[in-house]
Amino acid sequence: MTPIAGGVALNLAFGFSILAVITLFLHTRNGDQRLFLTGQRLALGISFFIFLATFILAFQLIQSNFDIDYVARYTSLETPFIYKISALWAGQSGSLLFWLFILSIYTTIVILQNQRKHNSLMPWVIITLVIVQIFFLILTNYVTNPFKPTDADFIVTNGNGLNPLLQNVTMVIHPPMLYLGFVGFSVPFGFAISALINGDTSPLWIQSIRRWALVAWLFLSMGIILGGWWAYRELGWGGYWAWDPVENASFMPWLTATAFIHSIIIQEKKDMLRLWNMSLIIMTFTLCIFGTFLTRSGVMSSVHSFTASSLGPIFLTFVFLIIVVSFGMMYFRRNELKSPRKMESFTSRESGFLFNNMVFVVLCFSVFWGTLFPVISEAVRGTKITVGPPFFNQMNIPIGLILLALTGIGPLLAWRKTGRKSLIRNFTFPILTGLSTATILLFVGFRGYVVISFSLGAFVTATIGTEFARGIYARRKKFDESIIKALIRMVSKNRSRYGGYVVHIGIVFMFVGFTGQAFDDEKEFSLTVGETDHVAGYTFELIQLSEAERANHYAWISDLRVTNKEGKFVTNLHPEKRIYFHNNPDPNRRQPHSELDIYTTMNQDIYSIFSGVDSENGVAFIKIMVNPLVRWVWVGGFILVFGTMVALWPRKD
Amino acid sequence: MNSNKKFFLMITGIIGMVIFWISWVSMNPADEKAMTTFVSVDELINDNINRRTKLGGLVKDGSIAISKTNYLDCTFVLKEGNTELDVKYGRTRPDLFKDGVEVIVTGQYLNGVFYADELQTKCASRYEGDLRNESSYNLNEIDS
Amino acid sequence: MIDFIRDYGLILILFILPVIFALQPLFLPRIEKIHIQLDVAELKRKKLLIYRQIKELEMEYDIGNINENDFISGRATLKKEVSEVIAALKSL
Repeated sequence: MTPIAGGVALNLAFGFSILAVITLFLHTRNGDQRLFLTGQRLALGISFFIFLATFILAFQLIQSNFDIDYVARYTSLETPFIYKISALWAGQSGSLLFWLFILSIYTTIVILQNQRKHNSLMPWVIITLVIVQIFFLILTNYVTNPFKPTDADFIVTNGNGLNPLLQNVTMVIHPPMLYLGFVGFSVPFGFAISALINGDTSPLWIQSIRRWALVAWLFLSMGIILGGWWAYRELGWGGYWAWDPVENASFMPWLTATAFIHSIIIQEKKDMLRLWNMSLIIMTFTLCIFGTFLTRSGVMSSVHSFTASSLGPIFLTFVFLIIVVSFGMMYFRRNELKSPRKMESFTSRESGFLFNNMVFVVLCFSVFWGTLFPVISEAVRGTKITVGPPFFNQMNIPIGLILLALTGIGPLLAWRKTGRKSLIRNFTFPILTGLSTATILLFVGFRGYVVISFSLGAFVTATIGTEFARGIYARRKKFDESIIKALIRMVSKNRSRYGGYVVHIGIVFMFVGFTGQAFDDEKEFSLTVGETDHVAGYTFELIQLSEAERANHYAWISDLRVTNKEGKFVTNLHPEKRIYFHNNPDPNRRQPHSELDIYTTMNQDIYSIFSGVDSENGVAFIKIMVNPLVRWVWVGGFILVFGTMVALWPRKD
Repeated sequence: MNSNKKFFLMITGIIGMVIFWISWVSMNPADEKAMTTFVSVDELINDNINRRTKLGGLVKDGSIAISKTNYLDCTFVLKEGNTELDVKYGRTRPDLFKDGVEVIVTGQYLNGVFYADELQTKCASRYEGDLRNESSYNLNEIDS
Repeated sequence: MIDFIRDYGLILILFILPVIFALQPLFLPRIEKIHIQLDVAELKRKKLLIYRQIKELEMEYDIGNINENDFISGRATLKKEVSEVIAALKSL
């Protein structure tokens, strides 16, 4: 397989995509089924060619064919195999091809899954998906082509290789996971646009896209959490979220997507909130494309940014087109989007969901504002401003807490209207739980957001517990089942609902973890062997300072012994200071890196960084951070994933 | 008031509250570290700006001096174009901090020296460097 | 010429086959019957969906999330819907 074949495959994909759109469009005009079949097959052909191009590029990466510019920039002969594969999405053009690759997988599945379904919707679904492909095909064919040959006046016998900071497993999983999420929302978007064009508001297609949206949401959630995990473990600043523009770019679609997967339940059950749902999925998809753009345009300076390039204006144009066309279609179909029923009471589950939508959108707008404020400010006032985490935290914490409260209130509301008796019966126990938690916390000395956050967490947990109890009780009244059996059958018959409740428990855990940040403590100090210092009630003694020369780096290793207030041994920590490529005659290629060591319990993390060394005098410079409750975030993440899998578990009937 | 009107009133009220909240936070950040103005080194010196600011530039070659008494303290010279500025920084230095790198410092300017409490280096994760020319060095030692 | 085909044979096949695959349906006679097949499948799915909705409504009522009147009228509506679908299926 030659790299030329790769370029040709991309060209053919582009050609097929134009033909597919034309063919399918003609089909919608004259109804000729043959045109639909051909259009479908052309679309499958696009996917085929993109798969081919991706495999060819992967093959070139594995073979270390440095005649291709992309291979020379992101791999070297020394790069381990797995990172040669992950180089596929490490660079700009490769990552765009990878985006296409994932979109092709999804498109293929959608086409094959729906050969006998949704016959009226499918043509426009495929057209929409193919148009998205066209956009990325234009980029990879004509603007930034992964198969571009190397252009140097010497023979490139070895590539640049992958930065050691990126050589860990999380970086292999995090981008693909995010892409699986971002790209995944194309499918519900395609269905939504198709339904708009056809004026179709029946609940049948809504059920299909709910599953797709949930799958995409799962991947996006995992991608975001993995990104935080990586930042915490590898970057060494002791945190997992910095409100960095690229982080925000993935968080915003997550917010609107979460609103969507909730709100669409209402459309399925009561055929309400049509306008909201249409807007939410359009916003989600737009934000996914916008997010892809933010990481590439150089508009925002961020830990992640790719170098500034011509991609920015092209992406912006695409985003603009999506917004104009989608909202234009919505206006055109505004009559069909009017729900036949009206919201009847503020204490109804329907209005709870409506309120939920609003809060999510507000939060999304708030993050959007904070992210773009520097750009707007520069355009309007000429001064460059940077916005830091304290700004985002100040704005978003109250909104986040309102959301947490809603998580608890929602399930306790009845459809249409919750009667007074039900209100009292449902809310008493959870509210009491919340209030007593608050009382205890205030008594112990906590104040402010910490109290609110933990109390709401208790409130929500009590709500979810109540929900499970009510369901089991209702089943046992009707059937003669043991508690366990009732629980299993109940969950099994309502996977979405109870899976969703489990996800909410995960969210509560994560909020507990977030709240722990209020108690973070840190200290920087220097130690010689035998010396000790103290942070947050722990004593750190430097037992040993050693050096080691390893395969591709040189390391100074500090051996720290940690004891607590009572003198009891807690753990040993071995943070290292490494220099990669230490023998490289070019000092700019030598890369220092702090390999941190973390001791983690549910209670807190002890986070140690070896910041610097004075080897002549045997002095180690250590930074210690004690971060309470961080583990709750990761545990919460697992629970969230588990709950989503329960919700997605397919049914047999 | 019929329920429709009540509804619209509630929505308007909420939107009003949101706009108020966001604008209020934007104008009154609780933490001085919430928002900082990015200025050029020239502007900083010429206008003698004393409020919290952010500067960008390169680390002048050979200018990094680490204190003998406290390893964490260091001084260096920030170069933006032709303008130079003395910077003092007293916290853990990022791994990539060395001669010639692009940095962003945040802090305060007082009496000719910039006291930085934040120092960031441009991340090398997108390694868009030049292609490696083998003939210029021998890489055998790096092989495992 | 033969060398060319031998070297690039695989590539030619990979590039030409999809074209043939895609254009093939255009040469078939006009298809009509497929509509009825699809309608049956669609109606069956709709029936299943409505049955599930009835079951869920019953569960909501058992838990107490919906009052008696709403439950009775909601169930009646759904039952009417499903009988229409069943009648439509029978006619096909």
